[in-house]
Amino acid sequence: MTPTIKVNQLSKTYQVPEREGGFGAAVRGFFNRKYKDVKAVQQVDFKIEQGEVVGFLGPNGAGKTTTLKMLSGLLHPTSGTADVLGFTPWELKTEYLRSMTLVMGQRNRLSWDIPAADSFLLNQAIYRIPDDEYKETYKELDELLELEPLMKKPVRNLSLGERMKCEIAVGLLHRPKVLFLDEPTIGLDITGQARIREFLQEYNKRTGATIILTSHYMADVTALCERIIIIHHGQLKYDGGINDLSKKIAPFKLIGVLMENADEHDLSKYGEVVENMEDADKKFIQVKADEVTRITSRLLADLPIRDITIADPPIEDVIEQAFNA
Amino acid sequence: MHILKLLSAFLKVNIQMSLAYRADTVVNILLNLMWLAWELLSLNIIFSNTQTLGGWGLGELIALLGVFRLINTMMIAFIWPNTEKFNQSIRDGSMDYTILQPANSMFLVTFSRITVWRFWDLILAVVLIVIGINMSGDSINALQILTFILLALSGMVVIYSLWIVLIALTFWFTKFDNNVTILQALLDAGRYPATVYPVWLRIIVTFIIPIAVATTIPLQALRGELGLNQVLIFLFVGIASFVIATQVWKTGLKRYSGASS
Repeated sequence: MTPTIKVNQLSKTYQVPEREGGFGAAVRGFFNRKYKDVKAVQQVDFKIEQGEVVGFLGPNGAGKTTTLKMLSGLLHPTSGTADVLGFTPWELKTEYLRSMTLVMGQRNRLSWDIPAADSFLLNQAIYRIPDDEYKETYKELDELLELEPLMKKPVRNLSLGERMKCEIAVGLLHRPKVLFLDEPTIGLDITGQARIREFLQEYNKRTGATIILTSHYMADVTALCERIIIIHHGQLKYDGGINDLSKKIAPFKLIGVLMENADEHDLSKYGEVVENMEDADKKFIQVKADEVTRITSRLLADLPIRDITIADPPIEDVIEQAFNA
Repeated sequence: MHILKLLSAFLKVNIQMSLAYRADTVVNILLNLMWLAWELLSLNIIFSNTQTLGGWGLGELIALLGVFRLINTMMIAFIWPNTEKFNQSIRDGSMDYTILQPANSMFLVTFSRITVWRFWDLILAVVLIVIGINMSGDSINALQILTFILLALSGMVVIYSLWIVLIALTFWFTKFDNNVTILQALLDAGRYPATVYPVWLRIIVTFIIPIAVATTIPLQALRGELGLNQVLIFLFVGIASFVIATQVWKTGLKRYSGASS
């Protein structure tokens, strides 16, 4: 089977006007503007199969959004090719636009002054969705997102979480096969994030849609994506299972110990002592994966230990290390 | 017809939007009435001193005012609100969504906002034209009325095309909020018949800035002053400007997707 998304040596270089601060520089810049090349994405390759949920990770400015924009068709790449559902995205073929969706957490598709229901109907007209199909899709989305109570209020009166639900729903009315989600949970509280996450999971299961999402919230990615792609400085740093990430990039384990008079004992001779906010009672050291057994037995022999845990380091830390690698 | 369906969907949404702000709607209707009174009054003042203006009588000037208001209605009902929406969508990035919708983006940009309460102004414009023609006492035949309608439409297409070109420039300059101030300034020049201006200015107004095409020319057709050649030329100008505007728009969109981040 051919993959749903195939990206080959995709690159994007922006020309950004560059000038120093100050009045003189501003005047000089008006007449003689200098440009700097910014390589936002450099020769990225990957393939994504139908039904996969893939997380794009990377710090701000890493090239995630640029990649997503090229895949959705908004941007022409400087070089390289992409194939989504058999289309070249930036040709913006109507058939392609009708089979994908881009949802950007920081941008509004819904009109501010009218109830979401009316914006939904407008999108029905634009996407030429037949009435019966529209009703069916809406019913399904309502079931998953509990839209009905939100539909009659003007969008400006909705809370951020409620609005995001509607924004996602309006992007799914035409039953897209591919979903590009750029920070779909940004600004939401924990329950709001969890609700969107559950929805996406269920939606993926029900429809078999392919989903690519970027998020700053690691929980989004760990909950939704089995596979992650890490982009840093426009380059692909990692592409694979989320569980393999720690093995490949940071082959470390975290040993947590709970002991009497914890402050009297120096753990730094066993491994690197790390802070862990979530469990303040325990002390944690980070050791290489193949030394776990040896160090654990030394700890047990040397110290008055009441409890000991061995775990993978938090994914945030692993990714942090991947960025710095 | 999908286009009509889409248009009616936009219209419905916009009616709902305008009904959401009642005070705004009422004030706008009142303001509009005051403007009309002011315009008629100022015409009266001019003609209390002179009987003709550039060879045109009072009735003809009222008809011209009607045509002018027709275009003004288009400006206020579509062009202004959509300019605002367009500039905002460039700033906040929601233009991205417009581009990714499976419909003609120029159509979406033209009709996404409609100032609904301006529609009665359309009727007013037609009434003014009819009254003006009657007052000038010309005997008008069907052919003259037909060429008048065609040329008025063609003139509106010219102005519309000019607008599309002006807003499309934003794709190159990113910040160009004054785009349509230029258009309004030009349009104001069309309030009086082009023949009141000196020849050099008339040439600019007619050919370089096509406002007169939209106001004076159709009325000349109505009075039977234009030959077939001239009528065809002005119709051609309408079609050509639309084709050019569409091309500029497409190129602008490409440019936008090539440069934005």
